Amino acid sequence: MIRIVRSTIIDAPTDRVWAFLRDFNGHDRWHPAVAKSAIERNQSADKIGCVRRFFLRDGSELRERLLTLSDLEQTFSYCLIDTPVPLFNYVAHVRLVPVTDGDRTFWDWRCTFTTRKGQEAEMTRMVGEDIYDAGFAAVRTHLSASSATEGRA
Amino acid sequence: MARVYVSSVINGRSDRVWARVRDFNGLPGWHPGIAESRIENGEPSDKIGCVRDFRLRNGDRIREKLLGLSDFDLFCTYSILESPMGVDNYVATLRLTPITDGERTFAEWTAEFDCSPEREAELISNIGGGVFQGGFDALKRQFGG
Repeated sequence: MIRIVRSTIIDAPTDRVWAFLRDFNGHDRWHPAVAKSAIERNQSADKIGCVRRFFLRDGSELRERLLTLSDLEQTFSYCLIDTPVPLFNYVAHVRLVPVTDGDRTFWDWRCTFTTRKGQEAEMTRMVGEDIYDAGFAAVRTHLSASSATEGRA
Repeated sequence: MARVYVSSVINGRSDRVWARVRDFNGLPGWHPGIAESRIENGEPSDKIGCVRDFRLRNGDRIREKLLGLSDFDLFCTYSILESPMGVDNYVATLRLTPITDGERTFAEWTAEFDCSPEREAELISNIGGGVFQGGFDALKRQFGG
């Protein structure tokens, strides 16, 4: 079992970060790796058990199921159902916690998975850097862009 | 039940920050509000159940009991046995979490307690803004930001 933990501080209140993250179908609007996403069966994106079917920029298609979502704890978790890459038993958790000192956000993103022998390092790098670290950077950029827009309004 | 939550970011690796705060008898070494401290009955300060008897710079004396300590999860939980604060069932936890993006630490300090309703706001402000944030401000200075 491989375990990945990534965390960062976002210079915005948790409510603003959560507004981005809580939409289980919204990652195609902020994550640079995700080209297009849709919730299957026309379900609501905050219905526990719903499945998002999405395409990465490289064309690969993935399906993930929403396992938990809490507006109180500002957490959600999900698992991979279908993927062209060897990520098995993949379950991920996202958690936001307020940094009261400065009204910022601690964002923790972690997962466990198994993979094929020999591909551990490649999958670890892909998930940790291409998905999690890149996601942190993208949300940071989007939040500062939307702050600038608010500033002009 | 009143609840206090204060969190901050310390500019140092969590193992280094933990080394500073894990000693249940070590408050005078890093917290500016604490003048002196000792562990009762000559027990080691990481023995669960040990009691610290310490004095604040304003002269108040407080006795606290160690309820939990984890070098793996980096937290310390304790209760107040005796204090002039007028609180009952006071339990607090200081917890550190590594921030993988840069060598920093997410520090959280929580407390829950009972008190008379008219004193609740003042106690929350003194404990959260005074004791907890004061401790974090000191750690931030000690770790350079």
